[in-house]
Amino acid sequence: MKIVACVKAVPEEQDISIKPDHTLDLSKAELKVGQYDLNAVEAAVQLQEATGSEEPLLVSIGTPKGLKNTKLQKAMLSRGAGALFGVADDSLDSIDALATASILAAAITKIGGVDLVVCGEGSGDIYSQQVGPLLGQLLGFANLNAVSRITPRGEKLEVERTLENEVEVLEVTLPAVLSVTTDINKARIPGLKEILAAGKKPITVWGAGDLAMTAASNIEVISTLAPPKAERKQIVLEGDSDENISQLADNLRKVL
Amino acid sequence: MSKLAKVFVFAEHVDAMRELAQGAAQLGETTALIWAGDKSQAGGTDTVYYLGELSNERILEHYAPTIINLIKTEQPSLVLVESSRKGRLMAGIIAAAMGTSVLADAAQITVDNGVVTQRMVYGGAALSTERSTAPTTVATVSAGIFEATDTGKAANLVEVPFIAPAPTVKCLERKIKAGESVNLRAAKRIVAVGRGFTSPEELQLAEQLAAAIGAEVGCTRPIAEEEKWMDKARYIGVSGVMAKPELYIGIGISGQVQHMVGVSSARTIIAINSDKNAMIFNQCDYGIVGDLKTVLPALTAKLSK
Ligand SMILES: Cc1cc2nc3c(=O)[nH]c(=O)nc-3n(C[C@H](O)[C@H](O)[C@H](O)COP(=O)(O)OP(=O)(O)OC[C@H]3O[C@@H](n4cnc5c(N)ncnc54)[C@H](O)[C@@H]3O)c2cc1C
Ligand SMILES: Nc1ncnc2c1ncn2[C@@H]1O[C@H](COP(=O)(O)O)[C@@H](O)[C@H]1O
Repeated sequence: MKIVACVKAVPEEQDISIKPDHTLDLSKAELKVGQYDLNAVEAAVQLQEATGSEEPLLVSIGTPKGLKNTKLQKAMLSRGAGALFGVADDSLDSIDALATASILAAAITKIGGVDLVVCGEGSGDIYSQQVGPLLGQLLGFANLNAVSRITPRGEKLEVERTLENEVEVLEVTLPAVLSVTTDINKARIPGLKEILAAGKKPITVWGAGDLAMTAASNIEVISTLAPPKAERKQIVLEGDSDENISQLADNLRKVL
Repeated sequence: MSKLAKVFVFAEHVDAMRELAQGAAQLGETTALIWAGDKSQAGGTDTVYYLGELSNERILEHYAPTIINLIKTEQPSLVLVESSRKGRLMAGIIAAAMGTSVLADAAQITVDNGVVTQRMVYGGAALSTERSTAPTTVATVSAGIFEATDTGKAANLVEVPFIAPAPTVKCLERKIKAGESVNLRAAKRIVAVGRGFTSPEELQLAEQLAAAIGAEVGCTRPIAEEEKWMDKARYIGVSGVMAKPELYIGIGISGQVQHMVGVSSARTIIAINSDKNAMIFNQCDYGIVGDLKTVLPALTAKLSK
């Protein structure tokens, strides 16, 4: 079974600061692997281990700054995947979900023979939860989200979906795109050995020109602004002495 | 605000159907609902396109080719989609088939030279305003942005002929989840717990405080998604419940933006955390640096007096 997991490099949210004009300053934010994509990689690796197939491949669309950064490449490859395919171009910064999905579709088609694509629940920055569903339709594969368990059943997969009020158990014929939930597994934490080994794994980075794709967008981002911050009193008592707790109780009573 | 010619609604739950039908009426000259399942529940729009029953043999996803064909034929200007899991999947499928992207998780929708939506990005650190000029715009809509209409306005019901999908997904079983129903969005007071709690038993300390002040208990995402100590309907934040309490008490919660946006409109925010550098202290009205195991029993006792 040839498995691909889709991972996105996203800015470390702790390091995003807000400029006086309410726009975001991302310049100090280092890129990391989207938190929820780690569950997609883990799901792909566990399925590979269960079926004895070749190590899963990773595909990531982004900018050269991210995808050619060795630390990030190692972060992606130290969790059990066998190789990384990147599509990197400065024009691919902040593209919409359909454009991302169509480039992913082109890359997956170019890789060839892919049976299963695993996406995360949502990307760490935009979190639209749409790239997987769009990709499944573009590729014409079986297409499911909210997948909370994947079990191999011969040539097929048994898949559990956790929805708002019900759980579905489905039999899926490959090829398929599955978007997994964050509780499908606990993503492994790579050790030093895995990180060193990741440096030796094959990496292919394509440019935008290497793939057949049409990324015309009819969605325009008008602005991205931090919402105004509410003023808070910030009266903080240090220490859990009985006196402090009494004072907190008094303050609390005032607002009840 | 100018109106769009034709606005469609796609929902799987009745509550969302009612809200989106109201939204469609505000945004469109004519409105229609795409509905599967219990026929008698459908309404609120000028037309209902009825797909058929839902069963193990025919889950919602099996109607995808039927829905795509309907949308291609009817060419609505906008499809408002419930932001449930199945809604999100169908939104992606419809949008890809129509050659457009999805305006995801719209918290506000207006018509202004296209469809303009506002949504949170970067975990709630920013609001992104986006305009779609697609011939058919697809938007998933957050709960609670339109007031629900409760009238099942006599709609013109059209039965849509079924187009069989590729036989790649077979439903083996559907189980109703035994979950409690709680509506944190409507709660006036919320006591929320985070990873500062180290066991499910310890949560009782928060439950006792909540009982003493008549509050609902909520939590951070890891408490629900990773530890599974609480139902997912109880986690607050950008990917969970966007609450509007008057009072919020965050206990053992670091105060990261993804969680705090869910309570940012609270009139009073109180924080209990053992780390004096925790981010939540910069966003609270009253706070105490202390161990929750010490603070909670004492606080509950004082408030119960
Ligand atoms: C795309 C995306 C979406 C997300 N959406 C959400 C969301 O909707 N909601 C959400 O909640 N999170 C969300 N998250 C996760 C979020 O980033 C944080 O990881 C999470 O909110 C942290 O939870 P926490 O505060 O419980 O845990 P931690 O950050 O681990 O904080 C635990 C706190 O407990 C304190 N503590 C420890 N022991 C004690 C003690 N004995 N007494 C008192 N205090 C103690 C610690 O000092 C610490 O501050 C999202 C993340 C991403 C990437
Ligand atoms: N630029 C990208 N490169 C690779 N995979 C991506 C990219 N963007 C999104 N994905 C995948 O699609 C999922 C959903 O993303 P989103 O729709 O942005 O929330 C993510 O969890 C990833 O698995």
